[in-house]
Amino acid sequence: MTVLRFDNVSKQYPGGHAALAGVSFAVEAGEMLFVTGHSGAGKSTLLRLIQLAERPSRGAVLFGERNLAKVRGGGIARHRRGLGVVYQDHQLLMDRSVAENVALPLVLRGMKRAEIGKRVRVLLERLGLGARERALPSQLSAGEQQRVGIARAVIAEPAMLIADEPTGNLDPTLSAEIMALFASLPERGTSVLVASHDLGLVRRMRKRVLVLDHGQLADDIAPEDLADE
Amino acid sequence: MNEKVADVHASRFGAWLDHHGYSIVASLGRLLRKPWATLLTIGVMAIALALPLGLWVVLGNVARLGGEVQASRDVAVFLKPAVAPAAAAALADTLRARGDVAAVEVVTPEAALAQLRAQPDIAAAIDALGADAARAALPSVLRVVPRGDERLLADALRTLPEADRVQHDAVWRERLDAWLRFGGRVVLVLAALLGLGALLVVGNTVRLDIQSRREEIGVLQLLGASDGFVRRPFLYLGAWYGLAAGGLALGVLTLAWMGLHAPLAELAARYGSDFALRGLDPLQAGGVLLGAGLLGWLGAGLVTGHYLRQTRPGKG
Repeated sequence: MTVLRFDNVSKQYPGGHAALAGVSFAVEAGEMLFVTGHSGAGKSTLLRLIQLAERPSRGAVLFGERNLAKVRGGGIARHRRGLGVVYQDHQLLMDRSVAENVALPLVLRGMKRAEIGKRVRVLLERLGLGARERALPSQLSAGEQQRVGIARAVIAEPAMLIADEPTGNLDPTLSAEIMALFASLPERGTSVLVASHDLGLVRRMRKRVLVLDHGQLADDIAPEDLADE
Repeated sequence: MNEKVADVHASRFGAWLDHHGYSIVASLGRLLRKPWATLLTIGVMAIALALPLGLWVVLGNVARLGGEVQASRDVAVFLKPAVAPAAAAALADTLRARGDVAAVEVVTPEAALAQLRAQPDIAAAIDALGADAARAALPSVLRVVPRGDERLLADALRTLPEADRVQHDAVWRERLDAWLRFGGRVVLVLAALLGLGALLVVGNTVRLDIQSRREEIGVLQLLGASDGFVRRPFLYLGAWYGLAAGGLALGVLTLAWMGLHAPLAELAARYGSDFALRGLDPLQAGGVLLGAGLLGWLGAGLVTGHYLRQTRPGKG
């Protein structure tokens, strides 16, 4: 089943800069893939289109059966609740504790407080953050903050997880741990799309890779072809 | 299955209540974290609310004073000095038969003199003048209570050959009423302008708060927070500002009342009146608080709504 489809999508910003030009690809349920390319290749724009932070200038982005161009008002928030997003700069709420940050997606879904508490504790333990539950993000290391961001992205078991340079600030060991966690998500039915310019990391994961170059899809490499590239 | 649906609804309602609770506490926290800025905002709003409220209270008291001075719509007919008390009584009987007259009271020179004597200052003057001379100077007066259009009745009474002068106090009353209507309109205009000012003050304060929390709002929106979820804490913030400003405005008016009540009562006593300055009753004060809270809520809602519209994805 196709979770996400980009159909000849272009994005042009005011002033004429074309961030994406005629990009087409599809992501299946439970698939993990990478989007790579140089800085300014269009990776972040692609992620923003998926999150409905922006709309395409041409073409269609379909999430499941839903054409995102037709999603308006409250539908935008509902669509975003179906996604998990990991940011390079974590985007944590600095005046809320680790547990409160991680709980947010569940709060937004209207889950019962007791159930939220249980799920948050289990996940934080799994990510080695059990002892930091009550800490504020400013009291955590960069690696811990990133793990909190990941916990927040996966706690609601979204249909799709998108990550923008999730290992940008982390050491190789922690990067590998986080990638292993991402790689385990498709088993639970979550599709994972990771934007990264770290080619070494991308090669090691041996997953499908979309290569963006100046806003165009330059290559769509299957895992089995990756070693040859 | 039905139990599951009910459970989800109960859970959503619980979460909704939870978020209201969180919004109430968080918005109060934001006010208390910046006490000086909060006090300044509330102070400006309170003055904007207190001015039209104060004027409204003053107008209410003036209207009451006008009512006490001239509660009835009597027409006073001062008869010519040559009209004897017996003739005055006969004329009163004739007038009582008219359909547009409800009652007629004859105030003889004797009765008028007795009323005047009741006032100590004038009693001394009467004694100096001599009672007979004073009585001779006073005409008989018919106090006519109208039963219809008192203006027409006053015109008719002016045509009586016995009438020396007809004093129709309703004219004075009508003028006062016209002034009060004008004052009431001034209060409305002033309330609208200053209410708008208060709305803008809350709006601007909430706008600044939104600006300082732009990143947090952006994160919440990307996580899928609904507009209501984002808006709620700011609405409570606006309402708190409004409520506090309303309370402060009532406090200012109470202080003004305390300062003016005693001297005005003393002044009224010197004119033989028991008139007392009246402030807002509890119901009116509650209305002021509710209105001010709603004003703050509205100001915050307008600004937050505008911000949320701006953050929606464009057309591409």
